[in-house]
Amino acid sequence: MTRGIQAPGWLAKRSTVWILLVPMVAVAGLLQLFASSLVVDIYTQFCVNLMIVLALQAFMGNSGILAWTHVGWMGIGAYASGILSMAPMVKSLGVPNMYPALVEIQVPILLAIVLGGVVAALVAALIGWPLMRLSDAVGVITLFATLIVMHVVMTQWDNVTNGPRTFFGLQKFTTLWIAVIGAAIVLYVVHWYRESSPGLRLRASRDDRYAAMAVGINVVQVRYIGFVFSALLAGMAGGLWAHLITSFSPKAFYILEMFVLLAMLVIGGQGSVSGAFLGTAIVTAARQFLLQVEAGINNSGALTLEVFGLTDIVMAIFMVVVLIWRPNGIVGGREFTWPLFRRRMKPAADGATGSQQT
Amino acid sequence: MLTIENLTASYGAITALHGISLEVGEGELVALLGSNGAGKSTTLKSICGLLRPGQGAIRFLGEDITGKAPEVILKKGISMVPEGREIFGGLTVEENLRLGAFTSYQRDRYRADLDEMFALFPILKERFTQAGGLLSGGEQQMLAIARALMSHPKLLMLDEPSLGLSPTMTDSIFELISALRDRGTTILLVEQNAERALEIVDRAYLLDTGSIEFSGTPDELKRRVDIASVYFGGEDDGTCEVRL
Repeated sequence: MTRGIQAPGWLAKRSTVWILLVPMVAVAGLLQLFASSLVVDIYTQFCVNLMIVLALQAFMGNSGILAWTHVGWMGIGAYASGILSMAPMVKSLGVPNMYPALVEIQVPILLAIVLGGVVAALVAALIGWPLMRLSDAVGVITLFATLIVMHVVMTQWDNVTNGPRTFFGLQKFTTLWIAVIGAAIVLYVVHWYRESSPGLRLRASRDDRYAAMAVGINVVQVRYIGFVFSALLAGMAGGLWAHLITSFSPKAFYILEMFVLLAMLVIGGQGSVSGAFLGTAIVTAARQFLLQVEAGINNSGALTLEVFGLTDIVMAIFMVVVLIWRPNGIVGGREFTWPLFRRRMKPAADGATGSQQT
Repeated sequence: MLTIENLTASYGAITALHGISLEVGEGELVALLGSNGAGKSTTLKSICGLLRPGQGAIRFLGEDITGKAPEVILKKGISMVPEGREIFGGLTVEENLRLGAFTSYQRDRYRADLDEMFALFPILKERFTQAGGLLSGGEQQMLAIARALMSHPKLLMLDEPSLGLSPTMTDSIFELISALRDRGTTILLVEQNAERALEIVDRAYLLDTGSIEFSGTPDELKRRVDIASVYFGGEDDGTCEVRL
């Protein structure tokens, strides 16, 4: 094995985290110093999205199960943290029908965000066990149905979510640096989980369920751990999101938003933390660029008709192209590790079969 | 060591095992032979808990393990190498081996076990950080066996280890199985390649459509049973791929 600079053990073991973290923090610093507030807002949004996509990767990437539910955990985290953090006065104004017991509660925002994650994890723990027994198409359909159930509950439970109407009045808590710190923590934790024993066992069950059982892995159990863990992270990310956006409705936690999150994960490569990171960065940048183009075309009046949905169409085509070109996403399930471009032992042989790696 | 009494198993409405009984003694190398669909793999899956048996009893070291969960049975000391080299293709060789050891993971012992596996299979040391899916067929089979050995099994079950391997690789696998027996590992071997298996085993059971047709030493088996007829269902069956 040829190595460039030998990194100390603790650094080498988590080199992926550092390779992703350093540019993320550096860009945040540069934007804070030189960029307009609009760009800072976009970057803050990116960091919050990154947390949710990483949470999604922790379950979906390691288990191989297409998890539609995650935007729902984000929603539960958003509503729960909002209800816990808002002042009673504001709550009774915003949600007139709210249960009196809920109106009374108020805790510090950070605690509310953590508790929001705990609530999401508890719901996941309650419904997860039977769902984790199902695999393949059946598993995907039931998770999709679960998302629909969560959406119906959010739109109908007047006394908690204000029904389909907007839930407003949250304080703005999530600044650029809070989002960056949150994303850094989630990045570390998700990478740690991937390499940990439960994470490794979950990845083994993804590769081959029967072989996993033959080496003594309780597939339902490791999936369940991953599901609840990932719901906890997604719920907390939802809390940070809620305290960035400050007003939202159940529409924000449904199929369209889930599709954007899935696009971020799948384009980057769901098999690795690096893929989740890269996918979120690329999709966020591309979406912002396309939105500007769309607005530019409409404002300039160059065309006699208004352009609608350009962003969504181009994003969908982009996703199709990437998936034809690289079915496992841009990084193809690999992690960035230090040294960055290590020579393989047999470069030719690796190159020939590398694209078939799952 | 392992005793099976009147075991039945079925996949839905189809009964795969009609009450078989067999025994594997400590230190023995026993083969389970039979044609496709005879119930060999079903027997192994029932023993290691991947398939819930219908009736009958499976006892291991005097303890009833019938219908226990796979991880419980593995902890008791039965390890299986599944058919078709089912390794984890997306994980590295190192991760594959670590998974073999995880039920009883101890860092010091893990290091020592790794060195032992490298001595048995030098190729695994060379490929240590590569994805398992990039290994050749024979290397994958070695990895699957090494992974099973990492849990220090008292009984090792191999499901068709020579399936789809080149003749040279088949030779090395059979040599390896003999070597493992000589080290004292008890082995239950399922094989299509009956001729090769009979060269190395102590005893053999012959399965036919879910029942034990014969059991005894390889010599007795060769003398008393026309293996080809059991394997290929008579002379008018022209679909055989293996010639004896």
